[in-house]
Amino acid sequence: MTARAMMNLRSILIGSAVFRLVLILYGEWQDAHMEVRYTDVDYLVFSDAASLMASGSSPYKRTTYRYSPLLAFLLIPNSFLHRAWGKFIFSASDLLVGYFIYKILKQRKVAEDLCLYSVMVWLLNPFTFTIGTRGNCQIIQAAVWYGLVVHFRIYPIIYALPIIVVLDPRYVQLGKKPLLVNWKSNTQKPSSQSSEEASTRYNLWTAAKSMFSKERILFGLVSGGTFFLCTGLFFHLYKWEFLHEALLYHLTRADPRHNFSIYFYHIYLQYGHQLSLVEKLISFLPQSIVQLVLVSSFAQDLPFCFFLQTVAFVAFNKVITAQYFVWFFCLLPLILPWSDMKLRWEGLSCVGLWMGAQLHWLLWGYLLEFRGQNVFLQLWMASLVFLLANAAVMAVFIRRQRCSPIFLQMKVTDAKGGVKSE
Amino acid sequence: FFQDCILKSYFSKHEVLSDSSFRDLLQDELSKFSCKLLPGDPNPQLTLSGLERHLIGEGSHRHLSSTIQLQIPPQSFPLQSCKLVMIERLPSGVFADPFELDHLLHHGAYAAIGVFGDTNLELPSVSSNRSAVEIHMNFKHNTSSGAMSELGIRIDLPLHARYAPLHESGYSEVAFGTPDLLVSCSMEGSSEKRSCLIVPSSDSNRLRTDVVVWKIPCGIMSYTNVVSVVTFATALVSTLVIVLPSVLYSKPR
Repeated sequence: MTARAMMNLRSILIGSAVFRLVLILYGEWQDAHMEVRYTDVDYLVFSDAASLMASGSSPYKRTTYRYSPLLAFLLIPNSFLHRAWGKFIFSASDLLVGYFIYKILKQRKVAEDLCLYSVMVWLLNPFTFTIGTRGNCQIIQAAVWYGLVVHFRIYPIIYALPIIVVLDPRYVQLGKKPLLVNWKSNTQKPSSQSSEEASTRYNLWTAAKSMFSKERILFGLVSGGTFFLCTGLFFHLYKWEFLHEALLYHLTRADPRHNFSIYFYHIYLQYGHQLSLVEKLISFLPQSIVQLVLVSSFAQDLPFCFFLQTVAFVAFNKVITAQYFVWFFCLLPLILPWSDMKLRWEGLSCVGLWMGAQLHWLLWGYLLEFRGQNVFLQLWMASLVFLLANAAVMAVFIRRQRCSPIFLQMKVTDAKGGVKSE
Repeated sequence: FFQDCILKSYFSKHEVLSDSSFRDLLQDELSKFSCKLLPGDPNPQLTLSGLERHLIGEGSHRHLSSTIQLQIPPQSFPLQSCKLVMIERLPSGVFADPFELDHLLHHGAYAAIGVFGDTNLELPSVSSNRSAVEIHMNFKHNTSSGAMSELGIRIDLPLHARYAPLHESGYSEVAFGTPDLLVSCSMEGSSEKRSCLIVPSSDSNRLRTDVVVWKIPCGIMSYTNVVSVVTFATALVSTLVIVLPSVLYSKPR
């Protein structure tokens, strides 16, 4: 990293840190002086659970605490240091994610200015800085092991399939560092790397054929083992309450209360009635089909696949809250350098369409919840528009992405010690 | 005096709030207290002269405001130390957030406040039982004027609407009753010369100005089929919008 680059990244990080500090201080003021709180109600839930844990009780004694005990543990200083400790942790994690984004893009030789813009897309994104400073913890990913990540937030389980697909012995071998495909701008001539890029279309069929490679088995065992170890440990400590609140609740959650999901009104109108098998299947199918097609089409370009899967997973989910958006916003900077989308006017149109659909929903939501008007139908239609907006934006991203596999094909040593390429 | 929590005692014996069994328990609990309320006593007594009830706010989060007008007789001592206990049995369809009430307690608004019964914050009305709130409030009153004095006490209770059962009109109406009120006053610094007032809900009912009703928007059952069909059709269209470009444009360039 050059001195100039360090200075720029450093100034972005410092500026973002100062801005977050200001927001946290403002949040404390607003909480004390205005009727509508700045701090998210979930933060109060985490804090209460943390103080229960500090006094030796189960964090699940706090109703609506539905997270790993690790989160409550991290927030224990809220009780004896300052109640805003957790917000500092979440904001620090924001900055750490920004730093990781820079490092990841640098590893793939992305141009310096593009790296910095991508970092800013994460750090200066209003969703990112308000959610962290309001006290939501979506960005705390214990990211070293996938199993720990899935224990903490269940949704990364959707990445299991593309990870397994990408762990092909042609690209990833035990004991060898995988070769990353470097970034090239769309104006550059193809480099010597391109002759070694995978020419075969990678799909689920090819994956199925070489399913049980040792890399895949090892990854599955280690991540699965970590996940079950964490689950086992916390089950031992907090029993069925942990299993129910932190895991099973998320798998079966169907909230009839209004949220961005297209299913909320359907769930409310059918509440208390047993859904037929056909109805259950129908709500399960769009999500499953989209996930399978995305993995099948884009698994090789792993960051892009993760990004699309996450947007789709959130958009087709039975419950959607604003905090879920952070799940894909942290991945957006990792795919932007490979996009042919120009900010003007395609990029801005995508932003405008997505935010416009959301604001439209929020308007009806406000009339329902804070003005007491019966606008259920309009609110539900706004959620349909929001799903279509998400799908349209995804289609534009897909159209404009220079899909590029993340790994190069490796040379494989044969039994005689000679080198051959696949 | 009135130190115990009556609702706590009720819910230790009953799972679900029922008006009739609560009235019975209240009578039993109050029979333990003796007040200097002798029938035929010529001295003026502590009385409830008015009860105003308003629902403040719009939407799903409102405040139930109760203004309690008391007539306090003069005493030979200048300062009376009084305690007010209000028990609000909430109708089905609204709930109080225990954490919000804790917040009020920490701000020193009340001596004690708690919600009992079904305190689930998330379930709709059809899957919930009723709850009740008990508030204990201390106040002092200067009675040196030598005449009956009027005192107005206002209590604001933050409440939230549950998702209401479906109704063709699009609104579900929740009517509030009146609270059970207990007031006790005695000489400041001692429990001598205590006078008290017990006004169960059935009696305070006579004093209220008008019925407080909360209209909560609700879903309309006749839309069920249309909503389901259009929801799934939109999911299908969105699936196609994503799947088609994925298949067409996924080849690495």
